[in-house]
Formats: sequence, C-alpha cells, structure tokens
Amino acid sequence: MKITVKLIGSFIESAGFSEKEFDVPAGATIDGLVALLAIDRTRPMIVTRNGRAMADGDAVVPGDRVAISPIYSGG
Amino acid sequence: MKGWTGRILRIDLTTKSFKTESFSEEFAHTWIGGRGFAAKILYDELAPGIDPLGPENKFIVALGPIAGIPAPNTGKAVVAAKSPSTGGYGDGNLGTKVAVQLRKAGYDALIVEGKADRPTMLVIEDDQVSFQPADAVWGQGTYETNNWIYATHGTGVGVLNIGQGGENLVRYAVVRSLEGRAGGRTGMGAVMGSKLLKAVVVRGTKPIPLADPEGMKEVGLGDLAEVHRIDKESGWSIQSTNAVLGWCNEVAALPVRNFRKTHHPDAWRVDGERLSDARVALYGCPNCTMHCGIAMHDDEGRMAELDYENVALLGPNLEIFDLAQVASLNYLCDDYGLDTMSSGCTLSFYADAIDHGATSGDFAFGDASGAKMLLGMIARREGIGDLLADGALQAARTFGHGSEAYAMQVKGLEMPAYNCKFIPGMALALGVSPIGAHHKEAWIITFELKETLRDSYGPEKAQKVIDLQRIRGGLFECMVSCRFPWIENGWPLEHYPVYFNLSTGLDWTLDDFWTVSDRIYALMKLFWLREHPQTDRTADYPPAVWFDPANVDTDGPIAGRHLEYDKYDGLLQDYYDIRGYDERGIPTRDTLTRLGLAAEATAAAEFGLLT
Repeated sequence: MKITVKLIGSFIESAGFSEKEFDVPAGATIDGLVALLAIDRTRPMIVTRNGRAMADGDAVVPGDRVAISPIYSGG
Repeated sequence: MKGWTGRILRIDLTTKSFKTESFSEEFAHTWIGGRGFAAKILYDELAPGIDPLGPENKFIVALGPIAGIPAPNTGKAVVAAKSPSTGGYGDGNLGTKVAVQLRKAGYDALIVEGKADRPTMLVIEDDQVSFQPADAVWGQGTYETNNWIYATHGTGVGVLNIGQGGENLVRYAVVRSLEGRAGGRTGMGAVMGSKLLKAVVVRGTKPIPLADPEGMKEVGLGDLAEVHRIDKESGWSIQSTNAVLGWCNEVAALPVRNFRKTHHPDAWRVDGERLSDARVALYGCPNCTMHCGIAMHDDEGRMAELDYENVALLGPNLEIFDLAQVASLNYLCDDYGLDTMSSGCTLSFYADAIDHGATSGDFAFGDASGAKMLLGMIARREGIGDLLADGALQAARTFGHGSEAYAMQVKGLEMPAYNCKFIPGMALALGVSPIGAHHKEAWIITFELKETLRDSYGPEKAQKVIDLQRIRGGLFECMVSCRFPWIENGWPLEHYPVYFNLSTGLDWTLDDFWTVSDRIYALMKLFWLREHPQTDRTADYPPAVWFDPANVDTDGPIAGRHLEYDKYDGLLQDYYDIRGYDERGIPTRDTLTRLGLAAEATAAAEFGLLT
C-alpha cells in the first residue's frame, strides 16, 4: 500500500529526502517505518498522522501522510 | 558573596548622575537574578499607574549568576520595564555581549531612570559612566547605529540599541544587539526611546566573582564543547528553529492569514529546508556553541537573520510565501527595531480588518510591497502607521465592528507563531502568560499531541504549563540562559544547578528554582493587579476567533474543530487551582504567604482585593 512520509528538520539530512511516497506492506507499523528509514531511534521524536500523534505500534493505512519530526520547544 | 557581584548600577538620565548600590545575599537567594531581580525592583520602585512611556518608568538590564561565564549559552541579558504593550510587567531576553561586559564591569543589574535632555548614549566602563550625545544616529536604524558604536568603541564592547521604532515609541519596539539579536518585545525599545536613550555601551575588565573558578572553568568549557558535539550530531543548527514551520504546517498549528487558517500548501516555500538552502551565514549569542541565527540575502541583497517566529508571522500569516521577501520584511523590522512577531500580527490584523469591512485601506494579504511600506510608516508613526504602532488591540478598538475578536493578542501583546485554534493546552499557555502572549513562558504542543488527546482539556495540561513556566519562565529567565540546549539537543536540566552551585558556592537543586519561579510568577500577577484593579479571568483568555465555529478549518487535520469556552474555562480553573490563585487569576493571600510574599500581600490589599 502507498503512504507518504514527510520528514522534518535534521531527519531530512539523515534519511536523504524530505517527502517521499513509499510502498509498504499491509499492517506496517510506525516502528517498522522508522526502522525502514534508518532514523536514529535514540533521538526523541514525534510521529503524526493528520495532526494527531501515533504510537510505535500503530499501523499505517493506505493514503496516510505520516510526518516524523524531532522534538522541538518552539521558535 | 560569590556568584553575584552584589552591585547594581543606578543611572539617572535627568540629572546625568549615577551611583552604585549593593544588595544582600537574602535578596540574591530570593530572586536569583534576571527576571527575578527585574520584577522585584520594578514592583518595589514603580508607583501604580505611571505612564510606561514617561520618565517615571525604569529601564532595567538584569543578569543572572551564571551570566558571562564560559558555560553553555550564558551570553544573555534580561531587559525589563513596565510594558507599554500591556500596562503590566514587561520583559524579554536577548543574546548580547552586555551579559559578559556588565558582569566584568562589576554589576549584576543596571537601572536607568528619568529622561535625557537630548539623544544619549550611555557608556559604562567599569566604575565610570559617561553620558554621550547620540544625535548623530538619532533617526538611524539599528544596523547603522551599531556600526557607529563599533567604529568609536571597537567591536568588543557590549551594545544595546534601538531603531526608529523605539525612538517613535512604537509599543512593540525592541532592544537590539549584535546586529542580529533582539529582545523585549513587550515594548522595551519604546521605553528606551521615551528616555531619549539611543544606546547603552558596556566594557568591563574585572574578574567575575565565582565560588569555584577552576571547577567552573573545567565544567563550563567541557560542556560548551559537548553541546557543540551533540549539535553537530543532531543537526539541529542546519535548519535551526525554522524546522518548526514544516511541523506546524503538518499538525495544523501554523498561523496563516491572520490565524484564520492553520496550514497552507505553499508553506514549504518558506520552511527550514528552504532557509537552510539559502543560508549565507550562521550567527549566535556569546557563549553559544549551537547557533540558531540563519542569515540569508533578502530581495535587495541585504543580509537578514531569520528564525521561525519571524518567518511564520511575516510570511504565511501575511500569505507571503516568497522567502526573499520575508527576509526583507525581517530585515526592515530589525533595522527599525520593531518586534517581528507583533509587526506580523499587527499587519495581518490590518489586512483582515480591511477584508472584513471593519476599516478601509489598500493593504491586502500577500502584498509584500505594501507590508514593507507599512513597516516604515509604523516606525515613523506616519498615517495609518501611527495607529498600527500601538498594536493590534488598540487598532481593533479604534476600528470597532467586532474586530477585537480577531486581533491576535493576549493582554495587549500580539501572538507568537502558534495557531491554537484547536490546541487547548497551548492556548492556555499563551492565555496565562503573565507578560501577554509569549511562547517563552511555556510551549506544550508536542506534549499535548504526544502525551494527551489533542481534544482533551484535562488538568494534566494545566500542570504541564506550570511545569514549563517553572523551567522556561523561571529557571532560564533568572539564570538568564538560553533554553535551546535543553530540548533541541537533549541537554539535561540537571546541569544548570551545577553551574549555579559552582558560581555561588551554594547547594541548590532544581526544586529550589521552582520555588523562586512560583514567587516571581505571583509577583508578576500582583503587578498586573496593581495596574488593572478590575481585572478578571478574561484577561487570561485567548482571542475569541479561536472559539468561533464560523472560523473553523474547512479542510485538513482539524477541519470543523475549534476551542470551546466552557472547557477552556475549566482548564483555566485547573491552572488557578494548582497555582493557588483565586477565580480572577490572582494569587490568594495564603499562596503569597507560602511563597514568602506576606509583605507584598499586605501592600496588595491596599490597591486590590485579595482573597
């Protein structure tokens, strides 16, 4: 199934893209997605879908737009 | 006494005189420094009801007990006075060599009183103070002024200066330093201007008194290097604060079109990635090893230093998605010495008021040329700029037609760049900020989305706002240190008592700082009550438009959602209950006594009811 991943901040540098469409297997979770992107799990991060946070074990569904961002404290 | 110099420099511009005063260890331990010193001095010394732009107001520069020493991000100073924006206590902090030089000159704070008889530059060199004419740069912008000072005094001095905005008493004029730094968006630049004080220049040569200078040097230098290493590893400085723009757009928290919308398909054009690509320089404050000031060339080839708040409020909030044009607006604000956030909100309100028929004019969203022209008119108080120089709330009260509902401000201070149309806890954080809408007090959006339901109004959000006020508005504003190492690069808070203890010889823990923080927040509230005796809880409400069903997003993550009055009011009550404030949002007598403010409680009873 196809989903879109939007990376924020320095995750763009580490993953090598800013926004990209991915074909992931049905039942794929946030945990699996982050592992696929080789993002450093030791860094605090927030993953959102449609403006709401997702937990590691949450599954993505077709058409999702998933944003993965480091934690910030404002500007 | 170690850690503090124990001395305050008091300067009277009217009589061109100065004197040095000492303060006690008890005072230092009770208020720590920075915001704590400033709030206490202003509360004690200002008569109720004075004109914030009159000679009776006092302009304060206050440092913390780790200011100027080589430790992470200690090159900052607090500037404070009664605010011309809110009428309450006002302050701000900025990165400046004054933090180093004033401490080396032997002072923890500077109090400037009265009014000069001509444009003046104060020059402080250790124990000497001179009052030098500044007519040559009166009417000039902050860049020209800074260069003029450097040409005379060298680039090593600490400088605070104002532009035309401060000279002409724009109520959101800021104090500028180091070409790219600004602070005091509560109108501290206007307070300087009201005193005909164009600049403060400081040079010091004395050692800073430390309890354990060798220990401080070893820990401080080591930690500066470590923060630098972590920043290189994390990559935070690559996009710096403007990385937040892309995230806010994703989670529907971006101010677009005077906060009418929360996201926009063109936001990427001005996001952190684009700013990083355009970068020509990176600036930081003294004693900083994780710089945040990304500079780029604007559409006229001038170097402008941008960060998230500036870009969001001068860009998407005005529906301007050309980064070079946003940089140009940013440059003009900096040169005029106008707060970028309040400028963006005031201009967006003006466009919105025209759009909704509350007033007439030829300015519209997306009009970068018009925005540039208006900034100049504001700085010079020409035409409509004279009204807009008083801020969005005053403009709304003049325009009428219900426009106050979408003047994006709290207590008279315009919003930072977080659209809380459907972020209840962050709306509370902005509502209860004691200096008006400012994100430096508490920023809970990540917590709110990640650790709670976005839709909820539970007391855990009120508690989180208080926890963050203690850290951000208390610890960092009293020590006067930058908060960015803490979250952005995961630098543990526990380092800060270590710096404090090495500096002072005390044995404090973080809990000791929370007590002082609560005391300061209570005192700022008493200041507010003294100036606004009829105040009630509505002073802690965000703008009405966030509650308006007619203003909901029609698409995106929060389509159809808005804040709800009764639930927000319940959340506000939770905040008051945890803090020990009454239903008007004023600390109770018991709370004041518990915080060591019994004498202030007694005095407060004379100007307003305490419960």
